[in-house]
Amino acid sequence: MADELRIIDNDITQYIVVALGNEQYGIDIKYIDNIVRMQRITRVPKSAEYFRGVINLRGEVVPVMSLRVKMGLPEGEITGKSRIIILKVDQSGSIGVLVDEVKKVYNLRADDIEENISHDSKSGVQSFISGVGKVENGLVSLLDLSTIIGEVD
Amino acid sequence: MDVGQYLGIFLDESQEHIQALNDNLLTLEQDPENEDSINEIFRAAHSLKGMAGTMGYKRLQRLTHDTEDVFSAIRGGSMKVTSSLIDILFQALDAIQGYVDTIRDTSDEGENDNESVIAELGKFLNGGGEEGGGAEDSEGAAEGASEKAAAPVSSNSEKALYKKIVLEEAQKDVMKDAVVAEKKVYGFTVYIAESCMLKAARAFLVFKAVEEMGEIIVSNPSSQDIEDEKFDLSFSIFVVTSEPMDKVVAAIKSVSEIEEVAGEEYDETMIDSNGTEADAGEAEAAGEAESAAAPEAESAEVTVAPAAEPKAERRAASSSSSSKKAAPAKKPVASQTIRVDIDKLDVLMNLVSELIIAKNALVSSAAQMSGGSNSESQAITENVEYLESVTTNLHESVMKVRMVPIESALQRFPRMIRDLEKKLGKRMQLTITGEETELDRTVVDQIGDPLMHLLRNSADHGLETPEVRSGRGKPETGSIFLNAYQEGNNVIIEVGDDGNGIDVEAVRQKIIERNFMSEEQAMQMNDKEVIDVLFDPGFSMAKQVTDISGRGVGLDVVKSNIEQLGGDVEVKTKLGEGSTFIVRLPLTLAIIQALMVLVGGEKYAIALGNIQTIEDIPVSEIRLVENKEVIQLRGSVIPIIRLSDMLDAPEVERDTENLIVVVVKKGDSLAGLVVDELMGQQEVVIKSLGKYINTSRIISGATILGDGEVALIIDSNALF
Repeated sequence: MADELRIIDNDITQYIVVALGNEQYGIDIKYIDNIVRMQRITRVPKSAEYFRGVINLRGEVVPVMSLRVKMGLPEGEITGKSRIIILKVDQSGSIGVLVDEVKKVYNLRADDIEENISHDSKSGVQSFISGVGKVENGLVSLLDLSTIIGEVD
Repeated sequence: MDVGQYLGIFLDESQEHIQALNDNLLTLEQDPENEDSINEIFRAAHSLKGMAGTMGYKRLQRLTHDTEDVFSAIRGGSMKVTSSLIDILFQALDAIQGYVDTIRDTSDEGENDNESVIAELGKFLNGGGEEGGGAEDSEGAAEGASEKAAAPVSSNSEKALYKKIVLEEAQKDVMKDAVVAEKKVYGFTVYIAESCMLKAARAFLVFKAVEEMGEIIVSNPSSQDIEDEKFDLSFSIFVVTSEPMDKVVAAIKSVSEIEEVAGEEYDETMIDSNGTEADAGEAEAAGEAESAAAPEAESAEVTVAPAAEPKAERRAASSSSSSKKAAPAKKPVASQTIRVDIDKLDVLMNLVSELIIAKNALVSSAAQMSGGSNSESQAITENVEYLESVTTNLHESVMKVRMVPIESALQRFPRMIRDLEKKLGKRMQLTITGEETELDRTVVDQIGDPLMHLLRNSADHGLETPEVRSGRGKPETGSIFLNAYQEGNNVIIEVGDDGNGIDVEAVRQKIIERNFMSEEQAMQMNDKEVIDVLFDPGFSMAKQVTDISGRGVGLDVVKSNIEQLGGDVEVKTKLGEGSTFIVRLPLTLAIIQALMVLVGGEKYAIALGNIQTIEDIPVSEIRLVENKEVIQLRGSVIPIIRLSDMLDAPEVERDTENLIVVVVKKGDSLAGLVVDELMGQQEVVIKSLGKYINTSRIISGATILGDGEVALIIDSNALF
C-alpha cells in the first residue's frame, strides 16, 4: 500500500520550510527525525564555531549546529519560536540544526524545483543549496544536507 | 537437513580447531618429530572434516580431507615434515580459514575450490608415498562395505552389536597393551532415538564425550560413515580408558537423544575371540580400515589433554590456546555456559545505562526533598540509597559478563611472527604472557590491529639481522614479547623487543631533514619529545618514504586507534638494547566513577581512576618554571593546568586566594588541574559525542546528569 502511494506521488517531495531571519529554506522531510523546542545546550569547547554544543535527546547526546552561523549569517537570538531540527542522514547518528522558526510543509513537484542554479562561489551560502523551489508566495532555497553536514567531518 | 541451529557451534569449534592447527604446525616447524603435535594436528583436522561433512560444506570437507591425508602420511612415517610442506599446510590452513570466514558472513562456504592448494597437497601425497592414495582407496571401500554391513545390523535384535566387530591384529594389540597397562577396554553399542534429526551430530558428540575419557580404538560403522550419516540408529565402538564403566556410560548418555547404551568390559581372551561368530565380518573389517587409522592417532594426546600439564612445556605463546581448549572440551553439551549474541549484551548494557541515569535523577530529586524530617521522606532516602547500591552491583555484573580474556586478540600473532621470520630472514621468538587478562569485549575486538602493528614494527624495524646481533654479542634469535596485565582500573599491554631501540638522534636529524620542525626547535626537544614525534601523523607519513631510523610505520594509526578506545600508548627505548611500547587501556568503556567539577559555571566529569589527590593551594605557592606554572607537593614539582583556559570557559568570579587543584596521574607523571568548585562523586554513563562534532582531545565524551543536563567528560590523560 505504501509502495503504491509512493509510485503515485513519485515526483512529489515534501519539504519543511524553516526561517533564518528573512530568508526561507526547505529541508527534505525524509531526513528529519524530529523537531524539538529549544532546550539547554551544553557548550563543547574547541569545537567548530557553528556548533552550539550538545543536547540530551531522550538519553542520547546529540550535537547541535547553528544553521545561521553555518550559512555565514550572524548568530540570531533564541526566541520562543526557535526550534532544533533533528536530522538523521545516515546510520551513524543524529545531528541537530538550530533554526529561527519552522514555517510549514510544502509539497513540491519535480517541475517546481529548479536545480540549475548558478554556483556563484562568491557567496558561501550558495554551495549549501541544492535547488530552488517555487511555492505560492515566492521562492524557497532547498538545502543540500549532505554538504551541510558532510563538511563537518 | 536444517543445520542452522548448529552454525554458531560449528563456527566456534572450527575456529578452535584452526587455532590448534596453527599452534601445532608452528610447534612442528620447530620440532618436526614432535608426535604430540602430529597427533593433535591429525585430531583437529579430523574433527574439522567431520564437522564440515555434518554441516554439508563439501568444499571445506574436501580440503580438510586432503589435509588430513597429508597428516595421516606424516603420522604413518611415509612422509617427512619439511619446510616447504609446512608452507603448503599453512596455505591450506589459510584456505580453510577463508571458508570458515565466508560461512560466518554468508552461512555458505562460497565458490572457491582452492584447486591450487589441493593440487599442491596432492603433489606431496603422490611424491610422499602410497599412504595418501591408500587412505582414499580404503575409504571408498569402507563406504561400499558398510552399506552391506547395515542389513544384518538392523535385523539383529540383540543389543550388544559390538560383539560382531572383527578386530584387526593391530587393534587387538593396542587393546591388549591397554589391559596390560591396567587400563580398561570396553565395547559399547549406542542407540540413538528414532526421532533424532541429526544422528551424525549426536554421534559426533558421543565420540567427543568418549574421547575426553579415553581412546576409541574401533568404531562400526567407520567414523567416516558416521560423519556422513551412513548408519542406522546404532553404532558400536571399542574404547580404551582408565575410567570406570558407569562413568563412560554416563558420559555417553549425557548426549541428548541417546536412547540406550549396551556395553561390557573386555579382557584379553574376549578381545581375541571377538567377532569370530559374526557373519558380516569381512565387510566390516574393510570398513574399519580407514577409521582405525584415525582414532589411533588421537591416542596419547587425548588421554592427557584434560590434564594440560604436558602442554605447559610448549612455547609460552601456545600455552593459552591449549588451556582454553581444555575448558570447553569438558562440557561439549551446553550446560553451564551459554553463548550470547554480543548485540543482546549491548542492549542490556544500554538498559543498565538508562537505569543509572534514571537512578541519578531520582537521587537528585530525593536530595531536594530530604529537607523535611518526616518519616516518609526518610523512607524515600533510604530506598534511594538501596536502589543506588543495587544499580551499582547490576552494572558491575553486566560489566563482568562483557569481559573476555584478551587471548582471542593475540592468537594470530605466533603465526604472524613465523611468517615474518620467513619474509625478513631474521630469527625471532615471540613470548606472550597474560593472555588471560580480561577486558571489555569491545576493546578486545579492536585492540588486535594496533598490537599487530607494534609487533610488526618490532620484527621489522626493532630486531637486527642475525649477523648484526651476533656482532653485538646478542643471541642470534631476537626476542619479541607481549605482556598483558591489570593495573588498577587499567589494563597494560607491553609490546617490545631486544633489538636496536630507537635512535633518537637519527629521528631528530630526520625531523630537521623533513622540515617537520626547524633545526632550533628539534634541537631543543628532549628525547621523549623527539620520540613523541614518531606518533605524529604528519611525520609518520613522511617517514614511510625513506624509513631511515627504523621506526614510524603506522605509529600514528596505532596511537589514534588506542586513543579511540580511551587508552594511550607510550614508548621506552634504549639504543642498542631494544624498545618497549606500553599500551594502557581502560578496564571498562561504558560507565565510570567520576568526580564532578565546576569550571566557569559549566559542569565537567573527571574519571576518578585518574585522580590522585585533591588539594587546596594558596595562589602564593605557585612558582614559574620555564614560564609554566608549577606547585610543590610533598617534595615533587607538579605542573598545573588551568582548566578554565584550556576549556575557554566563561569568565566567572573566582576565589583569588586559594586554588582547588585536582591532582591527576598518568603512569609516573602527575599534573594539577585547577577547577572552580567540587561537586562530588558520581557514577556516569559515557556517551559518545558522535562523529559530527570535532573537539579537543581533552573531551573524551559526554554524560547525562540526573537533571537531564549534558556534562562533558575530561580525559585527563590527554593533558600530559
